[in-house]
Amino acid sequence: MTDAALYQSILASLPEIVVVTGACILLILGQIVPKGPGHFLVWASAATVLVAALATLLLAGEVRPAHSGMFIVDRFAVFFKMVFYLSTILTFLLSRKYAEIEGIALSEYYVLLLFALSGMMIMASATDLLSVYVGLELMSLSTYVLTGFLRQQRRSNEASLKYVILGGVSTGIFLYGVSLVYGLTGTTQLDGMAAAVTGDPLDPGLLLAVVFIVAGLVFKVGAVPFHMWVPDVYEGAPTTITAFMSVAPKAAGFAVILRVFLNPLVAASDAWIIVAVIAVVTMALGSFVALVQDNFKRLLAYSSIAHAGFAMFGVVAGGADGIASVMLYLLIYTFMNLGIFGTVIMMRNGDFSGEVIEEYAGFAKSHPGLALLMLLYLFSLAGIPPTAGFFAKFYVLVALIERGFVILAVIAVLLSAVAAYFYIRIVMVIYMREPERAFEPALTPSVRATLALTAAGTIGIGLFPAWFLRLAQSSVFGG
Amino acid sequence: MAFPLLSLIVFMPAAGAAVLMFLRSDDAVRWTALGVTVLDLALCIAMLAGFDTTTHEMQFTETRPWVPALGITYALGIDGISALFVFLTALLGWICVLASWVAIDRKVKEFMVSLLAMQALMLGVFCALDLFLFYVFWEAMLIPMYVIIGVWGGDGRVYAAFKFFLYTLAGSLLFLIGVIVLYFHGGETFDILALTAQDLPFRVQSWLFFAFLIAFAVKVPMVPVHTWLPDAHVQAPTAGSIILAGVLLKMGAYGFLRFSLPMLPEASLYYSTLMLSLSALAIVYGGLLALGQDDLKKLVAYSSISHMGFVTLGIFTLNLRGLEGGILQMFNHGVTTGALFLFVGLIYERTHTRSIADYGGLMKAAPVYTAFLALFTLSSMALPGTNSFVGELLVLSGAFAANLAVGAAAVLGALLGAAYLLGMYRKVALGPASVGARFKIRDVNAREMVAILPLAAFVLWVGLYPKPFLDIIDASAKHLLAQVHGRGDGP
Repeated sequence: MTDAALYQSILASLPEIVVVTGACILLILGQIVPKGPGHFLVWASAATVLVAALATLLLAGEVRPAHSGMFIVDRFAVFFKMVFYLSTILTFLLSRKYAEIEGIALSEYYVLLLFALSGMMIMASATDLLSVYVGLELMSLSTYVLTGFLRQQRRSNEASLKYVILGGVSTGIFLYGVSLVYGLTGTTQLDGMAAAVTGDPLDPGLLLAVVFIVAGLVFKVGAVPFHMWVPDVYEGAPTTITAFMSVAPKAAGFAVILRVFLNPLVAASDAWIIVAVIAVVTMALGSFVALVQDNFKRLLAYSSIAHAGFAMFGVVAGGADGIASVMLYLLIYTFMNLGIFGTVIMMRNGDFSGEVIEEYAGFAKSHPGLALLMLLYLFSLAGIPPTAGFFAKFYVLVALIERGFVILAVIAVLLSAVAAYFYIRIVMVIYMREPERAFEPALTPSVRATLALTAAGTIGIGLFPAWFLRLAQSSVFGG
Repeated sequence: MAFPLLSLIVFMPAAGAAVLMFLRSDDAVRWTALGVTVLDLALCIAMLAGFDTTTHEMQFTETRPWVPALGITYALGIDGISALFVFLTALLGWICVLASWVAIDRKVKEFMVSLLAMQALMLGVFCALDLFLFYVFWEAMLIPMYVIIGVWGGDGRVYAAFKFFLYTLAGSLLFLIGVIVLYFHGGETFDILALTAQDLPFRVQSWLFFAFLIAFAVKVPMVPVHTWLPDAHVQAPTAGSIILAGVLLKMGAYGFLRFSLPMLPEASLYYSTLMLSLSALAIVYGGLLALGQDDLKKLVAYSSISHMGFVTLGIFTLNLRGLEGGILQMFNHGVTTGALFLFVGLIYERTHTRSIADYGGLMKAAPVYTAFLALFTLSSMALPGTNSFVGELLVLSGAFAANLAVGAAAVLGALLGAAYLLGMYRKVALGPASVGARFKIRDVNAREMVAILPLAAFVLWVGLYPKPFLDIIDASAKHLLAQVHGRGDGP
């Protein structure tokens, strides 16, 4: 590698370097600085993310291939990185008080989040199956540990163990698929693979390889049939980590899926049938099983499965609009889902776990403002206008119908009508029951800021979607 | 661009709702809500004063880009069909506030905010000239209405609220798919007027017709998707019932007028017999159900199904008398049934029972109340001299011209209407004064009178001199029929 190429590569991956370096420094500082002013870690971590975001924006002007074709900075990657930064910063803000209450305010907590962030960033920029793998592992390993961070609780340990084992198997399957691809085509580059996959007639070995790779990625977004870990892990993990996992790693998984499968060559094949089946089954399972959940976190876990299914419909649609619709969906989902998780996290105070839906009975009576926010997030998740959740779904449907998949669109809306039921059931509990207890939400300034930001996003994108739509459309690669 | 009168009308209640959130005392909330709704009505009257009845063109139009990438614009405008309903919505708006003055005694602020939000969205539905904008208003109504029924309703409110929400949502989502299909078939635009000018193949029209039918039929509601209505009406607070009966039900019929007929003319003609039969079924079936009710609110609710049957019947006769009668009947039903729900609410506030069997001889205890009740009851059964007579007569004469059997069924329904309404009035107002002994009934007070009088005035005005109202409708109705037959009759 020449000096100029090396310089270009370092420049292109500067944001990742910033995050990893920052994480390492904080890891050391966390041990040196005496416990006590633990808050400085939050701000230092947030500052690291902001610097990385700044670097990303400065580099966003042009497409920069780097690291010998393993890595690329394009608008597509930048868009996803922005989603990651947003969700990470909001997670930091939500974590401050929560981590104190749960007694997990350790420096490792923030450092691991930063490592997970860097993994996701690599995934968004990866153009080679191996760099995908590096990012995937970096992200997964960090989240495994974070899931088990409530060391005193069996539930958390169990979730972590389940996640490690299932995650390990799925990564193994993914890696096996990669090795098959390399054996059959002699390359691990996405472009090379795409060219081989669409070669006619399709090599059965290659088909198997693709299925393995899909399986590994589908696991990360929590789609059927690799969704079994989601409810247990979401329920067991610290709620802040659940919030984080429900948006960021899912978006990262989708980033890779889009890159691999919406390569124009692959999109021309019949791969969409597989994805369509996955989308329908995922959404159906998430929507129907969520109907009977009593635990808020478990319900949101199934809801996130259902949303993954809906976003998957955008992948089915393909084309520029299909890709843009998935991206916009993930961005909007970040706002509304972190919003609703923010309210759940805020409720965790004293003895009150805030995890049982029935315990929210009559919340609107004592806290009308917060209840209104919950109503906003829940209706947005249900996809009712004028919230952003509606526009997200609307655009996916537009992309689907543009490609002639009207039947799929009908299935999607009918399933989202089912899903609407469990969201409005929570609204019912909040508004239409008499309170049985006094509520003391841990409403710190940072939680307030998170709620304000997510609410602004949820209602703002709903009312003025034009700018965000253009952003997503212009960030589609090759389109 | 001219003065944005329609935007002002639509968003003033919304702005009022925002202001209410910062008020503390319940009385301030009530008076502010009343002030906003009255002001809105004044603007609507100003709008009608400047309304040109000689043209079918859209008036007071406003257009701004909203989401250019998808061809979505923020476009408002009204023609003769929507003008009447914008006015009706504003008319009922402040009456709803008055009807809730003492009936709503907890969470007054939240209630008024929901009420005003509801009004803004309903006005938006009637003014929207962009299909996406229309859909946003249409669907967003679910949120405040769900809350109004679910929080301030009766004992079975939660069930009723869920049923209302899910029925309407399922219907509207298929409508959404239809809208997007229409978007791609109609040249990637959501502009309602541009879509109206499209000539779609019959197969597409048929599919869209049924996609739209499901959404609109749920809202109207037409048999057999009417089952949410009795629950929602019975459980909703008085103001909620007035909104539901007065305005919400009109939206389904408005959808037929604004979308199904002009955009899908061939399909509308082709399926008109089906629609006429469904309407006749609703008229008779709703009437029969009303005949068997003991609950006052349920009776009025089922009578709504029957009366809305007349509306859809008139629309799908696809001749001028039927169509104008249908549109006028929409307005009439809003006034009359809104008033009847108001009356049920008034008496319920005093006695806390809605069972007809508990009443009797109310005339002695509350003479003014029963006198006005008689007026609205007679109006509901379409006695000559009242508003519904004009509407029903037009509808029936249109129906007989279109289909003899359906016309006959509709007459049967009108007879049923006389039977259950007179029966109800006899049991409640006349007979031995069983109630006087058990309840202390006070007659209507000044506040209630203010709410009742305008409605009574419209009953008589439309009944005795309907010309101004028909004039508003006329040009647009003629144009609509020309659209349907002009293209629909061709090969």
